[in-house]
Amino acid sequence: MTSEPVSTSSPFDPPGVTWQGVSPRLITARLVSAGITLAVPVVAGAVLAVLVSPWFWLVAAVPAAILVWVALVVPRQVRAIGYAERDDDLLIRKGILFRSLVVVPYGRMQYVDVEAGPLDRRLGIAKVQLHTASASTDANIPGLVPDEAERLRDRLTVRGETRLAGL
Amino acid sequence: MSAPTPADGWRRVHPVTPFVRGWAALAAVLFIGGQQMVENLPNVGQVAGTVQSVWWQALLGLVLFALAAFGYAALAWRMTSYAVDDDAVHLRKGVLFRQQRHARLDRLQAVDIRQPLLARIFGLAELTLEVAGGSGSGVAIGFLRESDAQLLRADLLARAAGVKARRGAAPSRSSGDGAPTAGDDAATAVEPVVSPVADGPAAEILEELPPVAPEQPVYDVPPVRLILSLLRSAAVWLLVVALAGVAVVVVVTRNWGILASALPGVVGAGGYLFQRFAGEFGFRAAISPDGIRLRHGLLETRAQTIPPGRVQAVSLTQGPFWRGPDWWRVKVNVAGYDSADGKESQNILLPVGPREEALAALWLVLPDLGTDEPRELIDEALAGDATTDRWFTTSPRRARLLDPFTWRRNGFAVTERALLVRSGRLVRSLVVVPHERTQSLGLEQGPWERRRGLASFSLHSTAGPVRPVAYHLDAADAARLLDDQAVRARTARAHATPARWMEHVAEAVPHVAAEELPVHEPDGSPASLPEDVR
Repeated sequence: MTSEPVSTSSPFDPPGVTWQGVSPRLITARLVSAGITLAVPVVAGAVLAVLVSPWFWLVAAVPAAILVWVALVVPRQVRAIGYAERDDDLLIRKGILFRSLVVVPYGRMQYVDVEAGPLDRRLGIAKVQLHTASASTDANIPGLVPDEAERLRDRLTVRGETRLAGL
Repeated sequence: MSAPTPADGWRRVHPVTPFVRGWAALAAVLFIGGQQMVENLPNVGQVAGTVQSVWWQALLGLVLFALAAFGYAALAWRMTSYAVDDDAVHLRKGVLFRQQRHARLDRLQAVDIRQPLLARIFGLAELTLEVAGGSGSGVAIGFLRESDAQLLRADLLARAAGVKARRGAAPSRSSGDGAPTAGDDAATAVEPVVSPVADGPAAEILEELPPVAPEQPVYDVPPVRLILSLLRSAAVWLLVVALAGVAVVVVVTRNWGILASALPGVVGAGGYLFQRFAGEFGFRAAISPDGIRLRHGLLETRAQTIPPGRVQAVSLTQGPFWRGPDWWRVKVNVAGYDSADGKESQNILLPVGPREEALAALWLVLPDLGTDEPRELIDEALAGDATTDRWFTTSPRRARLLDPFTWRRNGFAVTERALLVRSGRLVRSLVVVPHERTQSLGLEQGPWERRRGLASFSLHSTAGPVRPVAYHLDAADAARLLDDQAVRARTARAHATPARWMEHVAEAVPHVAAEELPVHEPDGSPASLPEDVR
């Protein structure tokens, strides 16, 4: 247990932890899904603006602005996602503006899910979701390469078994 | 149908069960009908006229519905059976969709005996086993005769504790003898109910271990105090203020119809208060080698047994109007007790009590707080703030913009055994989490917090009313806490109570039986605490 004050710049950077990032293909996945949902109002607004009244450009502009914002933020968000396997627990770090760090002890993991939607499969990424006995544990790592997801799943399972504690 | 795992001994529940269950459905229909009537109160004359013209149709409908309900319940009874072996409890049920459930006893979190009003009249009870499998994963066996339910509970707890693990054969079928089931009443004449505890090997065990483990009463809540505490609750004050407002409006406008519009609010608040009163009436707590025993309820009674080490987190809270008498309410998280449906009564360890009793409740869960001065520490946790702190680390002064009232109270303290999180000025609250019950840890920081060098620490416990979060700590404090707490949780888990707890408790049993529980001593703790701790 460290007793000297931690002098690192951020509490989200514990000393001696090397973070692993996730696949940049997650950026594509998130941009595509955001693009699909936001393109519909943009196109609808543009069509109405041409056909009915130029005022509809406003309707198109709002989602377009959001789209630009998303395109700027998502790459940084994805780069901010990191995880680290320590000897006894897994760390997951997320967020730029609202940051969060979760520590999940291996012995506390009840089960591990690997999920991939159609877009994720096409891009070759998957999400690993960890479950403990607590519903408030929000521990998932999106955007892993399938090989890495499987390796992580197996590794977590093995480590969980060796350190398994009841509840 | 899948093959039954236990060698033999699939047993049915009590034959009166369909009646009790069917009656509940009928009561629900009558209740909903009655509610509809009440809602149509303004045109009650018209409704009465309608009822008069169609009363026989309504009666016929009701009879048909009752027949259908009882018929279905009878069918469901035929299809329900349960069995107990050394490792698990098995339950088969369901008419159309068959379900076979298997609850592992080493995962047992709590055993409840529930008696709704009608079941109490018949002397029946439903036994619920909670295993930590998330919402609705419990196994409910019911209804059984009350004495049988108690024997089954003792049997299950003993097996879960590992006492009977060496026993070879599953209990053989026998009619209820060897057990103190004195009143073989007429209801059982329909079909002989098989006693849950077998006579053969179990009889030896019963000599070693009494059917119901000896218990030591710790505290009880007199009804007068419960009523007074409810009168001092926020709900009552809101109701009084609202009623006063309505009265003023009525007097000013002379429009009596407004009174009727206030009715739903009154009914709602009254319902809430009555639910609290009925659920927490006659609350008694006791300690036994099997764990904490709680009994409460006015109409529907519930007897809970929470084995040692099954409480995941404790909270002590005090609303503003409880400060005068220094009353506290103690709630717990137990895996499997989900209060998601608004029924919090399962999670109550002490509905209302003076500080001494709240401390006794805390000692029930955590006999050893892991500090030399537990009483002083708890006093500081309950009523202190940053001006007087000796143990607590609170939010720094920078946090006062985000937390103008409570920044001096928000904080945490760590002992060898537990983490204490304090918060709230108007509604005081303290959360205690034993280190070995830590599930996972989290650290959050928003933009405002980062500008001020703050971070919030949260500890993830199982589902329940207790949520340990320390807001707006100094970022360095929070990071260190996160790091240290991970280590502490790991070391504590290594020495945690085994799932089969009896080997752990065995040496404590004679103490519990012999010693009076020193509730009023500052360092008082259930007798399982070894002397050398302090």
